[in-house]
Amino acid sequence: MASTLRLYLTCIRNTLEAAMCLQNFPCQEVERHNKPEVELKTSPELLLNPVLICRNEAEKCLIETSINSLRISLKVKQADELENILTKKFLRFLSMRAEAFQVLRRKPVQGYDISFLITNYHCEEMQKHKLIDFIVQFMEDIDKEISELKMSANTRGRLVATEFLKQFI
Amino acid sequence: MAGAEGFVEADNAEAIMIRIEHKTRKIESLLKQYKPVEALRTALEGTHAMTRDERCKSAHWIVVHRALMAIKDVDGMLSSLDSEYYDILMKYLYKGLSTGDRPTCEQCLRIHEKLTERAGFGCILRQKLAFQGTALPMYCKRDGLFPQHMQRSYFSM
Repeated sequence: MASTLRLYLTCIRNTLEAAMCLQNFPCQEVERHNKPEVELKTSPELLLNPVLICRNEAEKCLIETSINSLRISLKVKQADELENILTKKFLRFLSMRAEAFQVLRRKPVQGYDISFLITNYHCEEMQKHKLIDFIVQFMEDIDKEISELKMSANTRGRLVATEFLKQFI
Repeated sequence: MAGAEGFVEADNAEAIMIRIEHKTRKIESLLKQYKPVEALRTALEGTHAMTRDERCKSAHWIVVHRALMAIKDVDGMLSSLDSEYYDILMKYLYKGLSTGDRPTCEQCLRIHEKLTERAGFGCILRQKLAFQGTALPMYCKRDGLFPQHMQRSYFSM
């Protein structure tokens, strides 16, 4: 299991390393505008084929690239209903604070839990390998966070139930 | 890339399907003789043929998938496989990774790691990040990422 995770993250790292070749490209449609082409998708010659990397049926990563921007969408493993709710709440909490992360998208792409948008400006201000390290580290940490949240929710639930039911003994 | 010096423009989907059937029989016989690398090489040959027929693409994938899943020793396989097959293999690895089937994804991830170490990031960029539009962007023609004789074959998947 751990080895599959390592292979999955290595594959994503290598793909991002190859895909993150971004350059400044002003909008072809509107003069004096500069927009991330991966979001607009108006000019097919500026887009590359999206890459879908699945670890299994539940976990996948979609990498869409264009000439001046790159979008990474993640679907996190959710084993049961509780994990589903916790993941949704936690990732929504992060997405609401997208400005602090700079590369985070406010709304995830349809069918995914969280999305990142990296533009050529981010690549100019920040180091490419650090950006990739951040994405990969995020993917590792998110699983641990969700597991900890689930354990803490179960522990709290058990304590509350024990205390409540004591009055009936 | 196998056959890059002369890719075959194949309009006749039926002819391709017949070729794939012959290939399938040959691959099954190679696998019975415990020759998975030869089987994979046979599976990857001829897949560069330009076709838009979805049946042919699916049939190619099924054949390559059969050969890929039979590989046990990845390092040995990559040592035996010629470098001209690396780009096609990378193409099919990404196709396998997009299926979502657990055993296929595990096998493709195992091979992807080793193949990237051997072939480099250019292999990834050429094969899976090929272009949707019918015209290559100017920056790629200028930078020589897609040599002239290879350009058309990258649209076949």
